Amino acid sequence: MDILLVMCIGVLIGNRFFPEKWKKGNEKAQIICTVLLIFFMGVKIGKMDNIWNEIASMGLTSFLFFFIPSLFSLILVYVLTRIFMKSGRKGDR
Amino acid sequence: MVFLALLALILGMMYGLFGLNIQPIDFLAEHTDYLLYVLMFLVGISVGMHHGLLEKIKEYHVKILMIPAGIIVGSFLGGVVCSFLTKTPVNVGTAIACGLGWYSLSGVSIGNLAGAAFGSIAFLSNLMREIFSFFTIPWIARHLNYYSCIAPAGATSEDTTLPMMIRYTNEETVVMSVLNGVICSAMVPVLISFCYSVL
Repeated sequence: MDILLVMCIGVLIGNRFFPEKWKKGNEKAQIICTVLLIFFMGVKIGKMDNIWNEIASMGLTSFLFFFIPSLFSLILVYVLTRIFMKSGRKGDR
Repeated sequence: MVFLALLALILGMMYGLFGLNIQPIDFLAEHTDYLLYVLMFLVGISVGMHHGLLEKIKEYHVKILMIPAGIIVGSFLGGVVCSFLTKTPVNVGTAIACGLGWYSLSGVSIGNLAGAAFGSIAFLSNLMREIFSFFTIPWIARHLNYYSCIAPAGATSEDTTLPMMIRYTNEETVVMSVLNGVICSAMVPVLISFCYSVL
């Protein structure tokens, strides 16, 4: 929930006080934060104990448990948003 | 951006794998929450500058719940199919699939409930879901629609996969992505317990 609060503070500042000329700077700062977050995600994965051994022994079963539920979610959300939400149609992207 | 993201991920993994210990990097790796808060604050500014966006989201009303509902039902059904394919008990299989990408929580909870082997599968499959959804977002945004990018991300759509949403979708989808992540994260512990004990 903290994250929603932080975002709401940002929305308020962006809506009321943030100068238009700093828009590009804000976008660049977002890219820097994004790349750093991805890097640190990699650090965490790399430091996990036995991660490669576990992938080797339970890889296929784990793959199925990742792939099929993700695919079903994707299909269902795509169909629902295409039918019920205006900008869910491909042309409105 | 995908190239940059991939490069950052590989460099990060190499740093972790080789057991390097550079104090500021280790410190930041343990405190990525703060970096995420900074990013969310900046995203909030972008959302706030986009006038008329909040009105549009209000227009959707309860339809916003369709995305988390689709993700939960889709994952649950996927878990049922996987249970049959891998001859796993349905209660365990659906519980694993209902981790919705939250690998740390689902790995630990399913490990406690169903044993270490299923805990490892829950951990790995949800970790794969997080990583793969991260890199499929650009493709989904291009070929399906922006909302569908939220589907594979599941509970991670409010944090780990959010940077890709920001780059490849629009402000409206980012707001929905955060809301979806909050709802899915709240539902994961409930779903795991429900699937394991009731089914």
